[in-house]
This record gives sequence, structure tokens and C-alpha cells, in this order.
Amino acid sequence: MSIPKVTVIDYGMGNIWSVMSAFKYLGAEVELIADPEEISKSSILVLPGVGSFKNGMESLRARGIDEAIIDAVTNKGVKILGICLGMQLLGSHSTEDDETDGLGLLPNQVERFTSKEVCGRKIPHVGFNSLHFSEKKGLFEGLPYLADFYFTHSYRMLVDDIHGRYATCKYGVEFLSAYEIGNICGTQFHPEKSQTNGLMMLKNFVKL
Amino acid sequence: MLKKRVIFTLLYDNGYFMLSRNFRLQKVGDLQWLKKNYNFSHIAFSIDELIILDVTRGKRDEDKFSQHIHSLAEECFIPIAAGGGIRTIDQARKLLHSGADKVVVNTLIGKYPNIVKKIAAEFGQQSIIASVDVKTIDNNFTVWTDNGSTLQKESVVEWLDNISRLPIGELYLNSMDRDGTGHGYKIELLECIPSSFPIPVILAGGAGKYKHFSEGLADIRVDAVATAHLFNFIGDGLEKSRTWLRNNGNYALAYWDINRAHLLKNNFIEHNEV
Repeated sequence: MSIPKVTVIDYGMGNIWSVMSAFKYLGAEVELIADPEEISKSSILVLPGVGSFKNGMESLRARGIDEAIIDAVTNKGVKILGICLGMQLLGSHSTEDDETDGLGLLPNQVERFTSKEVCGRKIPHVGFNSLHFSEKKGLFEGLPYLADFYFTHSYRMLVDDIHGRYATCKYGVEFLSAYEIGNICGTQFHPEKSQTNGLMMLKNFVKL
Repeated sequence: MLKKRVIFTLLYDNGYFMLSRNFRLQKVGDLQWLKKNYNFSHIAFSIDELIILDVTRGKRDEDKFSQHIHSLAEECFIPIAAGGGIRTIDQARKLLHSGADKVVVNTLIGKYPNIVKKIAAEFGQQSIIASVDVKTIDNNFTVWTDNGSTLQKESVVEWLDNISRLPIGELYLNSMDRDGTGHGYKIELLECIPSSFPIPVILAGGAGKYKHFSEGLADIRVDAVATAHLFNFIGDGLEKSRTWLRNNGNYALAYWDINRAHLLKNNFIEHNEV
């Protein structure tokens, strides 16, 4: 088996070191890329990110990375994993900072937790929380029952109309915590901060 | 269900990792020792979070400390917080760009609350942990800053009230009396916390055995327990504690299979399947 090469997209949002370290631990080759030309040449894309949805989209557009991702994923069948904000940016739009359109690779929307639906729990939702998988295959292969993953977020993707494998998490209200829809994957949690559960999922993603 | 946490705190002093007892430091080993002899990357698979504090008593070498954080972050797949001597936003930024997800502030809270606000504006409130060192004097709890060397005039209650009004994500409440003693946490310290305190509480100082973790975690006011003692849970001590706490405690801890770590390492090179 040849050593896979993972392309982490650098658009100035968040802690990319941990994501790169996790893929390196698994034995993958990892490159950090900010040039849209290079993105279209890669075969495994990772879109990390911490911060606001609007800043994230503006940063992708300013670098011309948005078009390059859409082209690679829809026309060339390149697989992509969005992490945290990266997962949300793959969706249709977010209500953060008014309405902001996302990359639109899947139709789901992003909205803030309301204190009513989380029943007075603290926002942001921070810490290890357990997942419920639609099926234990593909991205979710071999993971323990109710496996825990590390979250830190105030906005979340709605579960409506999801066609594919997915996982939900409950924090007062159920929300979409991971998905695998064809070549498009996303995790609201940080697999690179989720011990062997996260490393397993990153391995599964590379092997899809 | 959101889980409670077990946190390991590494105390760093100018290139060495230290043991602390009542804030008196003793040199234990360098990064090489921590990785090779102490097998830290294996131990890190049994904790929920890592805190690395630069407690250097003399002049701090920030570049060297950042390199240590970066090196530790390479093989720890958990949230990492770093701090010690932060007085400016540039110092916080440097740690957050070296592999830390959060910064720990202590003296800064009383001295430069505006810097706390600036860090929160740039990196979010969840990225700041307020550490508070408390010592008992004449049966009263008192707040100490500057590596436990400066007594503050405010009471612990007043100090915590001030923290609750700043954009801070978590509280690290440390007992200087119990620090490094292994006699157990100072549970009475929790009585200083206002009832509607808005952020998670990490209890630190005094853990010597897993029953101490259990006493802390069982308290409804505690979200996480920490230990900074390099030898109280040496070898498979943390792994065994975690198993015991998960099976016997009346609280939830996160679950992952520790035994998978070595199968996942270099998986794409050495193994075909896990």
C-alpha cells in the first residue's frame, strides 16, 4: 500500500498544527497548501478551521480557494474532510453575523444553539461528548459504541434532509456532528483532539 | 452527555519539567527524559486534556517554551492549554500559534484585565483559563499571584466574582497548601465559588491517588480534576485510575480505546488494518 498524501488547506483560520500532527502520526504524508492551483491537483483535502463563519468564507474567497474546492470536489471527485468551522463552511449557509452563504457542497444550514434548546446549559458546547452513528461503516467503521469526541462550538449544523452516513450528538438538542455523503465528509468535533477515536476516524477518512 | 475531565499539568522551568511542593520546585528531567524515560506520549492517551505551565522563577525564554509546547503537541491528541507569565497579547498569540488551544492566565487577571478582553476578542472566550492560587492564612483563604509570591488584598470570593465578569472560559482553582503533597484536594475551596458561577471549574492541588480524583469529580461544582505530580501516577497509574473512575464513579468520563494507539501509529506505513 502506498503512503497517502493529505493536503491541509491553509486559509489563516485556527490551529492547523494538531491536524497535521494527527495525519503524520498515522503515517500519512502531509502538505499545507494555500494556493488554489495546488488544491486542484490534490486527492485528499482537509479543511480545518476555528473562528467565525463569515471570516472563514471571506478568507477562502480572498484567496480564490472557494472555487478551487468546489471544482475539485464536484468535478474531479476529490474527497474532502471539513473540521469544526471547516465542516460548517461546506454547508449552504449560516446565520452567524447575519446570513452568510457557505460553499454549498451540501444543503444543510448552520444556526446558533439557543439557550432554550440547550435547556440552560453553557454555550459554547465545550468538551468530550458521545456520538450516535447512523451506521458503523465508512467514516465510522470500527469505532466504539457511543464513542466520545472533543467539541468546542456555539453554532451547529441542522440534521434535516441528510442523505448518507451521519452521526448526531445531543447537547439539550440533537445536532449533526459528522457526515459522509459520497466524497464529502465533515466533523463538528475535532478528531485531532479526540484521542484514538479521532485518529481512527481520520484513518477511515483517508481509506474511504 | 458532556463528560467530566482528568487533566495533567506539566510544570516547566527553563528547559526542565518540575515537581512542585507548596510551590517549591524540584528539577525532574528535560523534554528528552519526559518523552523517552517517562513515556509521556503514552501517558497522554489516558488524560482528557494537557496543561503546560512555564513556572520559571527567573527570566523566561519564551521561544524555548514555545518549542517545547510544539514538540509535546505533536504526539498528544487532546486539547492543550499553555501559560505562565503572560502579560501581553503577543505572548498569548505565540502560545496559541505553537500548538496550544487555550492560554492560562493568572497574574494578568488583576493587573491587566484589558489584555484578557483582547485575547478573548481575537481567539474567543473558550480559549482562556483563569488560574487562581489559594493559600490558607489564619484559617482564611487568600489569593496569591506571581508564582504564588504576591498576596492580593481581595478575598477569593471577590477575585472569583471579578473572573465571572471577564470573558474567561474556565477556572483552574489550585490549593497552594495541598500542592504536591498527595493529601487530596482542598474540597472546602469550592465553597468560595458563587452559586451561579458561569464557567467550568478545574480543581487542582493535592491529588495523590485515584480516590482523590474521584472525590473531586463526584462534586457537582467540579467539571475537571488536575494533577501536576509527575510521580503520583507514574507508569500505568493514570490508565488504571481512568479505568477505575469510569467503572466505579458516579459521574461520566469520556471513553476511547487506549490500546489502539500503537496500532494507529504509522498505520499507513506499517499495518494494513487495525
